[in-house]
Amino acid sequence: MTLDLLDLLRLGWTFLWLSFLAIGGGLAVIPEMQRQVVGRFAWVTAQEFVDGYTLSQLTPGPNMLIAVFVGYRAHGVPGALVAGAAMFLPASVLAALVQRRWSTLRGHPWAGAVERALVPVGLGLMAAGVFTLARAAVHGWATAALATAATVLLAAFALPPIVVVLAGGLVGWLAGL
Amino acid sequence: MNRVRMRSLVRVFAWTGLTSLGGGRSAYFFDAVVTRRPWVRTEEFVQDLTLAQLLPGPNFSNLAVLLGCRLGGWRGGAWALAAVVGPGAVILAALAAVYFRVGFTPRTAHLMHGMAAAVIGLIVVMTARMVRASIRTVPAAAIAALVFVLVGVLRVNTVVAIALVVPVSLWLHRPR
Repeated sequence: MTLDLLDLLRLGWTFLWLSFLAIGGGLAVIPEMQRQVVGRFAWVTAQEFVDGYTLSQLTPGPNMLIAVFVGYRAHGVPGALVAGAAMFLPASVLAALVQRRWSTLRGHPWAGAVERALVPVGLGLMAAGVFTLARAAVHGWATAALATAATVLLAAFALPPIVVVLAGGLVGWLAGL
Repeated sequence: MNRVRMRSLVRVFAWTGLTSLGGGRSAYFFDAVVTRRPWVRTEEFVQDLTLAQLLPGPNFSNLAVLLGCRLGGWRGGAWALAAVVGPGAVILAALAAVYFRVGFTPRTAHLMHGMAAAVIGLIVVMTARMVRASIRTVPAAAIAALVFVLVGVLRVNTVVAIALVVPVSLWLHRPR
């Protein structure tokens, strides 16, 4: 029981500092999250991590709810609560605090510089997140073809993403991927 | 002091959270608080959106908190967070329970594998769109490529990569 409590604390701490790595979007934090929750602490397997990300895409609300998924796997409902709170609460408090000061900072030339400097860092992290997830989700030519088809369909037509994702599931089910 | 009643804030934010599936989630908020209701002015929304992306933490909940604080102070921010994260968290916990308890029969595993592959397509397109819209200079492109190679390909620790690259990027983008 004490061991469990310790691991619960570790879970909360891990998602807390992970939440602060998300510059420009949740996808940015995916490579490090995978390294921590799959590689370091083995709370989920690589396949479960990808499945959890897919489920969180299908769930309304923020994608970073994947924290709830990992927390649930590690320690049931208490784990889900701890991981979810660690992911969302501290960052939200910081956001509320900064908003009170931001109006005075906005005119400063360095405020604009920080903004311009962080955008490419955030986008590079997002691209790394895509790469990390693709390495786990694409195995063999069939999944590669499906991912490519989804990319082309979404780039060419203004389809609702959920339709394409569910169609991918249907193809996977019928083809036995 | 507060611009809207707390009850309508919670209702609108919860509804926005529940209906915002797929990419471009902040667009749903724009629709809810700027287009459909006279709650927030466009330039205020853009300010909050920029700040939400700049700040560490999940963008979508950051944006909800910033808009909530604007509309109803601290209480507004707290309720906005609960309204946007709570329902999804309950749904995902339920899905996780099913996933881990029932396990997946081979057939549902195929379904998940297919969806996971399609999600890759979705995030490729989303990321490409953001790169095209936001990266306009050679230094910015170089910084983004450097971060991608370090974290994605070479698997350098993200904290280390950020600590190395952010000062360089700040220098390249310094005010002049």
